[in-house]
Amino acid sequence: MEIKILGGGCPKCERLEAVTREAVEELGLKANFIKVKNMTEIMAYDVMTTPALVVDEKVLSSGRIPSVEEIREMMIKFV
Amino acid sequence: MTLFQSFFGLLQSGLGGLAAYLAAHVLLCLLPAFFIAGALAALMPKEAITRYLGRDAPKWLSYPASALGGFFLAVCSCTIMPLFASIYKKGAGLGPAITFLFVGPAVNILAISFTGVQIGLDIALARIILSIIFGIVIGLLMAWFFHKDDAKHAEAAAQSQLFNAKAKIPSHIIIFFLLLLGTLLAGTLQIGLFRNVFYEILIPGNWPSQLQSWLDGLIPPDPNLGIEGVSIHGLFLIFMLLLIAATAIKGFKDIFNGFNPWTYITLGLITLTLVMASFSVSTNSMGLVIGLNGRLIAELLLLGGIWWMAAHSFGVESRQEWLWETWRFVKQIIPLLLVGVFLASIARALIPPIWIQTLAGRNTVFANLAGVIFGVFMYFPTLVEVPVAQTFLSLGMHRGPLLAYLLADPELSLQSILITNTVIGKKKTAVYVLLVAIFSTLAGLIFGWFIQ
Repeated sequence: MEIKILGGGCPKCERLEAVTREAVEELGLKANFIKVKNMTEIMAYDVMTTPALVVDEKVLSSGRIPSVEEIREMMIKFV
Repeated sequence: MTLFQSFFGLLQSGLGGLAAYLAAHVLLCLLPAFFIAGALAALMPKEAITRYLGRDAPKWLSYPASALGGFFLAVCSCTIMPLFASIYKKGAGLGPAITFLFVGPAVNILAISFTGVQIGLDIALARIILSIIFGIVIGLLMAWFFHKDDAKHAEAAAQSQLFNAKAKIPSHIIIFFLLLLGTLLAGTLQIGLFRNVFYEILIPGNWPSQLQSWLDGLIPPDPNLGIEGVSIHGLFLIFMLLLIAATAIKGFKDIFNGFNPWTYITLGLITLTLVMASFSVSTNSMGLVIGLNGRLIAELLLLGGIWWMAAHSFGVESRQEWLWETWRFVKQIIPLLLVGVFLASIARALIPPIWIQTLAGRNTVFANLAGVIFGVFMYFPTLVEVPVAQTFLSLGMHRGPLLAYLLADPELSLQSILITNTVIGKKKTAVYVLLVAIFSTLAGLIFGWFIQ
């Protein structure tokens, strides 16, 4: 799967990436991480606040950092 | 005077400024302000405000909501640009987006409280009121100039569900904010209710006066230059701050793995320090006089309320996120601020007052414009504009041009102009920059005229 972290590279985005990597590892999934920093590209997804988590082009969360458990549950539902 | 002596003198004024700053300003103003900023970023449901920023929202709602959004949502630079772009392209349009962009940096809680304590309540209030009014006026003007362009986004906005989410701010979050805000106000407002001492304790001995004269020799206070010096109380508080800094690194770094003993020690130390800072302490020939005042009682009640609410009304995750955001702000801002204060104190000793007085000593159009232009070309990190402004003030700058500078500096750095450019394009950015420059100059003029 392809996981995108949307956000201008602030500490929140790094935190979101770390949490997501943890969740992905726990689930034993193979994922490709991409950081999207360009504002026009970010705006193409319907988000108004960053950091946002996008899995296979679908926005799972935006404007906040979900907990590892929450991301794990979202991933399970999604897969 | 040898080169070494003058170098030593500069170092002394730099360190003196830093020590006075830590003792007087950080504690009762910035410590609560950081916790408020952290709470705004972590606990505030964004949808409670963005629901008024959609394409269908009437103008009388969307403009004030944008201005308020600047206060509630713009504490983090990660939030400003995406939200600005969303409001512009998919929400209420260019006008409210510009209002949001303008008001945000000028009225954030850290900048306002810091300005109020270090420079004066008049400038802080003027900064809030004028930036909200001018933010709305500039937004309306931009929307009027470019109304044809805005129509293009109408379709994209109609399809978007972005601004349809509805939320209210839960009452426990409002109460929590009021308590935090109360700590800030009780700690900083210089009114009789808080200042008047109702009971005095004397610690006899002649060491306090000896220690104080040693401190005065080390950092000579000079009211003419606005150099405050450090009191025994201040020295003690600096010591407490260093202790907090040392424990906070261990306590807050891995906050998401849960609260460790260091977290509790740090929070305990912060509470204790805020209480200690509320006492009125003075030195006389008899010894050290410690006065109990209204401020102390107010802080005790408010801090107790905050501890109780944090423990009972919020879940583990909210608490962790609150402290993480607070710590993030501290890490991001404090190191740069300390360097800024140090350099601004050195500059105060280096720049001849006559330069500033000639350039901006009186409230003229030229002086206000000079303040604005300085703000545009000098980029100072968040909050550093305040000690810089204080240096100008002590060198003889008029309060009008000073306000013009304080409005323009966070709004119009070259960096923020470039980022705005990528979202709304060259032409609109140029008009926006021009409007901000004109209105900041005007704000300084009006304010300078008003206080005379």
